[in-house]
Amino acid sequence: MQSWSPFKPSTFAGLTHYQELFFYDEVFWKSLWNTVVFMSSSPIAIGLALALALLVDTRIRGRGVYRAIIFISYPLMTVAVGIIWRWLYDEKVGLINYVLLSLHLTQRRIAFLDSYEWAMPSVVVAAVWQIVGFFMVILLAGLQNIPPNLEEAAALDGASAGQRFRHITLPLLRPAIFLCLMIGVINSFTSFDLIYVMTGGGPNYATEVLITYIYRVAFVLSKFDYAAALTIVLFVFLLIVTAVANRLTGGEAGAVDAAE
Amino acid sequence: MRRTLNHIVIGVLALGLLTWPVAAQQKKLSLLTWNIPIYKEKIEGWIADFKKIHPDVTVEWFDKKGPEWGPFYQTQVVAGTAPDIIDTQGAIWLEYAANGGLVDITPYLQRDPSLKDYYNPRFLQTWVYEGKNYMVPFYVSKTLLFYNKTMLKEAGIARPPQTFDELLDAARKMTKGEKSGLMTLNFDWLYWPLLAMNGVELLTPDLKKAAFNTPAAVKTVEALAQATADGTINKIAWTGRWVEPNNAFASGTVGLYQAHAPAFFYVRGGGPWVNGDTLGATQMPGGFAVPNSHGLGISKSSKYPDLAWEFIKLATSEKWAYTFGKNFKLFTGTRVDSRLMEELQKEDPLAASVMKTQLEQVDKLVATWPLGKDAQIKEAFYSEFQAAVLGRKPAAAALAEAKRKVDRLLAR
Repeated sequence: MQSWSPFKPSTFAGLTHYQELFFYDEVFWKSLWNTVVFMSSSPIAIGLALALALLVDTRIRGRGVYRAIIFISYPLMTVAVGIIWRWLYDEKVGLINYVLLSLHLTQRRIAFLDSYEWAMPSVVVAAVWQIVGFFMVILLAGLQNIPPNLEEAAALDGASAGQRFRHITLPLLRPAIFLCLMIGVINSFTSFDLIYVMTGGGPNYATEVLITYIYRVAFVLSKFDYAAALTIVLFVFLLIVTAVANRLTGGEAGAVDAAE
Repeated sequence: MRRTLNHIVIGVLALGLLTWPVAAQQKKLSLLTWNIPIYKEKIEGWIADFKKIHPDVTVEWFDKKGPEWGPFYQTQVVAGTAPDIIDTQGAIWLEYAANGGLVDITPYLQRDPSLKDYYNPRFLQTWVYEGKNYMVPFYVSKTLLFYNKTMLKEAGIARPPQTFDELLDAARKMTKGEKSGLMTLNFDWLYWPLLAMNGVELLTPDLKKAAFNTPAAVKTVEALAQATADGTINKIAWTGRWVEPNNAFASGTVGLYQAHAPAFFYVRGGGPWVNGDTLGATQMPGGFAVPNSHGLGISKSSKYPDLAWEFIKLATSEKWAYTFGKNFKLFTGTRVDSRLMEELQKEDPLAASVMKTQLEQVDKLVATWPLGKDAQIKEAFYSEFQAAVLGRKPAAAALAEAKRKVDRLLAR
């Protein structure tokens, strides 16, 4: 609602910034869409983490080592993760191009982070890789909290493994899944460092998400007032997404039963 | 209890009175530089020299890396603790100058006869906004054309290109397999010589409207898009920032590279093929170049602008300008550059052949529009230009959209 810059006192601006944002700013819409796309990495990561959690929850040998290996990507600094993946994706010296060419899966090197088509999927893969270990730990804790007698009773009643998973495991894992979903959503809204390091939002806004756009508007274009308006929109959007996610997971998902 | 309290109050007041003259005498200047922590020892030398002349002044030095510099300075401005003296790059200063954030140093320059002809007038001119000088050169560079002599020879090209058509023809002949013919740096306005050599102007002479949406501009952008699509221009030219294009040229698989002079040192460090027989440097066709210099200026909020100016004079004096140029093999936009050039020719002929271009044809500097909204206009133009050269939009549509955006920004 104010016009402001570090060098000038603020003046009342009404809804000018919101008018600009909603009716004239294509990059805002692009970055909003990219945020939604980036958010889609959360269900992918949760699905993958659930599969891994189920695997390391079985009585396989060395499962502790597997758990540690899968979890190890999470405590890494996001900037370091970004640099590692940038190197992996590099067109000239990247390991991924080397492997693809060696296996004859491609004839030409792919500029993963410099192409419109590949930049966003490449960043999503890195984001999933980093978070999957953390989700696995949450889901594993959820799995281990399910009383084994429920599964045993269902098995005695003749329920197949798939039926037991669908009707017992999955519903009882709902709070853990909701927690992962919320962490994933918040992460995708605040995942500034990974995108900034890997692509800087480019090429041509292909990986620009709201949070990187807010930074660009504030500190590159020096439009702090406009960046503040964008931040309000981001906040409202986050509220809506949280409400929708809560509704989708049963309305009371994640709530603690005080009577227990 | 009351007595004890009285004693404490009297004690504090007495201490305040005793230390007051010392605090009043001690003035403090702060200096913010742009990513030169490696130069710490010499900057301490500036401060020591300054302290000899002004023993009552303390100078505090901060250095920030490129991406951190802007956020740091702007937050300091908001906090009311903006560094007195700033070293800034490119056109960021324009935003500050246009919003009254910098001290007009024209009177200082006019007042001091020792400075007449000391700073290179063309480089000094690049720091002028609405007739006022806001910065003086600290170190200067401009774009040039590097060429891989081996690739040129293999393609049967006898001399570096002299026109835009020759540039693309030569690049096309060198493009083969992993090799691409041409690449440019794209940040700030560094790619602008490609448009300038085709007669494209960004704005009307009064700087009030976009002037680039012309048939010549459409033809140029179409040619660049075509060359990018067929691999003649490496895509990194439009997507990478600094490291990626330099790495690509250093790998020896790019024939022509439009970049600023500091790129040479990075390329030489990373390219074992680089020597006097394999690397050449010349002006871009038409001699057009974009400056990419650093200047020193004074924040408007400085309590001691006169002292800050004294400090800037010292930091850019013959002694320290020479030391800086010698240390980094860069030019300083001052009288000492000719001496630096002479010495470089003896010590490092290859670097000298590159740096020679920096002192020539300074009358052909382009993309130096004094626009308070430079960053916003740059973003509005480049986003459309980039979409066109990467084949996402037809050139005509992209330039029309860019014109609409730029005109809208200029009208506000």
